[in-house]
Amino acid sequence: MTTTSDIGAPAPGPAPESVPAATRGDHRGSWIPTWGMITTRFMELRRRRGLMIGLIAVNIGIPVIFLGVRLISHAADPKSYGPAGGYDIFTSLVLGFMYILGFIVAAVVGCTAGSIDLTEGMFRHLVITGRSRLALYFARIPAGLAIVIAIVAVGYTIVCVVCVFAAPTQLNYDGVSVPQGLSRPALDSWAASHADEVICDFSFNGGPGLNGPPPSVPCGNGQTSGPPPGATITTKGGGTITVPAHVSQAQVRAFAIAVANHDYADYSVRFLVPPMSVMVDVGLWIALEATIGFIVGLGLASLMGQRTVPIILLVVLELILTPIFSRAVISHLVNLERGLVGVAMLHIEPGSLPTPFSGGGPVGGGGGGSGLGRSGLIPESTLTASLVIVGWILFWTALGAWRMRTRDA
Amino acid sequence: MSTTTLANSPPVASGGTSYAVETHGLTKRFGENIAVNDVELLVPRGTAFGYLGPNGAGKTTLIRVLLGLTHADSGTMSLLGHDVPRHRDVALARVGAIVDEPRFHGHLTGRQNLQILAAAREAAAKSRIEPALERVGILHRADDKVSTYSMGMRQRLGVAACLLGDPQLLILDEPMNGLDPAGMLEMRDMIKSLVAEGRSVMLSSHLLDEVERTCDAVAIVDRGRVIRQGPISQLLAGSSFEVQVECSDPDRAGHLLDGTAFGAHVQVGPDGLAISLPEKTQRDAIAEINRLLVEGGISVYRLQHIQASLEQWFLSVTSRLGTSE
Repeated sequence: MTTTSDIGAPAPGPAPESVPAATRGDHRGSWIPTWGMITTRFMELRRRRGLMIGLIAVNIGIPVIFLGVRLISHAADPKSYGPAGGYDIFTSLVLGFMYILGFIVAAVVGCTAGSIDLTEGMFRHLVITGRSRLALYFARIPAGLAIVIAIVAVGYTIVCVVCVFAAPTQLNYDGVSVPQGLSRPALDSWAASHADEVICDFSFNGGPGLNGPPPSVPCGNGQTSGPPPGATITTKGGGTITVPAHVSQAQVRAFAIAVANHDYADYSVRFLVPPMSVMVDVGLWIALEATIGFIVGLGLASLMGQRTVPIILLVVLELILTPIFSRAVISHLVNLERGLVGVAMLHIEPGSLPTPFSGGGPVGGGGGGSGLGRSGLIPESTLTASLVIVGWILFWTALGAWRMRTRDA
Repeated sequence: MSTTTLANSPPVASGGTSYAVETHGLTKRFGENIAVNDVELLVPRGTAFGYLGPNGAGKTTLIRVLLGLTHADSGTMSLLGHDVPRHRDVALARVGAIVDEPRFHGHLTGRQNLQILAAAREAAAKSRIEPALERVGILHRADDKVSTYSMGMRQRLGVAACLLGDPQLLILDEPMNGLDPAGMLEMRDMIKSLVAEGRSVMLSSHLLDEVERTCDAVAIVDRGRVIRQGPISQLLAGSSFEVQVECSDPDRAGHLLDGTAFGAHVQVGPDGLAISLPEKTQRDAIAEINRLLVEGGISVYRLQHIQASLEQWFLSVTSRLGTSE
């Protein structure tokens, strides 16, 4: 049996005061974080020197170095090195670099924000303040996003500025300098007056007016286009065609116009500089990607109570699972594939960009008969993609908040 | 487990809201292990209260339950008269606590760590950062990174963090850990000064000497269960004590006392007799011993009453529990 003795003296003190006014007014039980909680959380993340250096190096440093080297190279030897800016550089940097690494870096920040209080022993101090655990969790979201989005925005702005101001002066299409922004009739007209260049350099593969062999025109260095006049060629059907000995200038122009028509769709999305609307759209798209990376990292790290494993999982998601599942149709798992946030993000990519993970190929690559849709991605409607993205953000936020609320401190 | 009752005291008073900490039937299990076992605890306001127990006795777990760091499996509790966890936010608004080793963000300065904690409290907490740092004596290092702090300095920073909420109740888990003797003295003085300001301090410790010097009342916990609690003076008053006697014939004196009804345990040593008297023995017994020796023709040169220390008492209680199992 356990027996406890009365406390006796010293006598109990006075009854407790009512809740102090200062405490009543601070809404300590509310799930909404205070401004001070957000700013101090921002300060805590910002002062992580290693994290900030990594974040800045990836999002700002590497694009700056890449563009800086191109600027210097082009200035020193313009004939050997192309311009530092322009649309092609923009798409290469954005899709091959900022989109993917932006997600990973944002995920690292999210995982740090989601786990570091726990691993460094501050979580306990914070819980003891009586502040709602949900408020403690939600304070991390604006604080972390303020850092991630700001740094991504700075890096992206630098890329945009260089791509606009250091763009080539003429549009290079298939190795031919072509005026930018021509309408279809204007491009036809331009093709008629540059028929030899169009026939020699523009790509084409059949189509209206392009069924026969191209007319033989001089392409420089002693080369000509198409088979020589008078030659006999075998068609796919097994028949033979004899190339006319003489082709009129009108026939050459007509063929060039047909080639220009064939290539117009591709030409029309080539720009000297990225248009403002594209830059805005792409900027928002990258910001959304970074936001998702941060939110998922925050929730996952909060759930697991550590940083390393969630980071590894998110890197695997971004670099391995998303490229595979965005292009490989697995019949029984296709809805699961559609549920990947990376796949959904590719579906809402601004339309004029090439698809990431496609090797830089332009839109319209197609999946042939493999069940893939436009751009070679598994088919998914924009509405579904949008719902998947919203779902991921809400799900991981809720999961992280739930774990924060129920975790032993 | 069977324990004996040392004090003939009435049951624990209950129901009042005038206790800083009040628990009834509080239990916390980790699987088969019962870390907090049906704990009835009353910590009066305005006192320094020691929560004593050997390692693994469940001291820290009880504190974690009280502070809402982990949930209780059963029982009720209140802090400063507010039920927790129901009114946890209100209760903890005026509670400061250190649990386990105080840890902070090492890449931030002491001041910045306190800014984070102050932001989670009421607006006035921010203005208490400077005084709190000054009070715990680390104002001069406030702008150094915590990673450069010694264990003792982190302990002080932990106390500063407690003070941000202008607490009515401080719960300190092993606050003397990592402190050098001077630091321990300062901590002891600080706790006393906090109590003098009308605050309640509950500290858990296994440093019995420090608790005896610092606290007014204690509870002894063993294997998750509170086995004794009360003011130190009252607990010790009911404990066994020793009388040392220097006399002309120690051997005969020992023989003489063995045959009495005191229940005394007599040891004869080079310095004389060491007579251990059982708990609840009245002080009149000392005079009776003197009378017996003198009437027996033994000259008494010195007779000294030695009160058991908290440590001796604690060991006697816990060892008795151990043997009773």
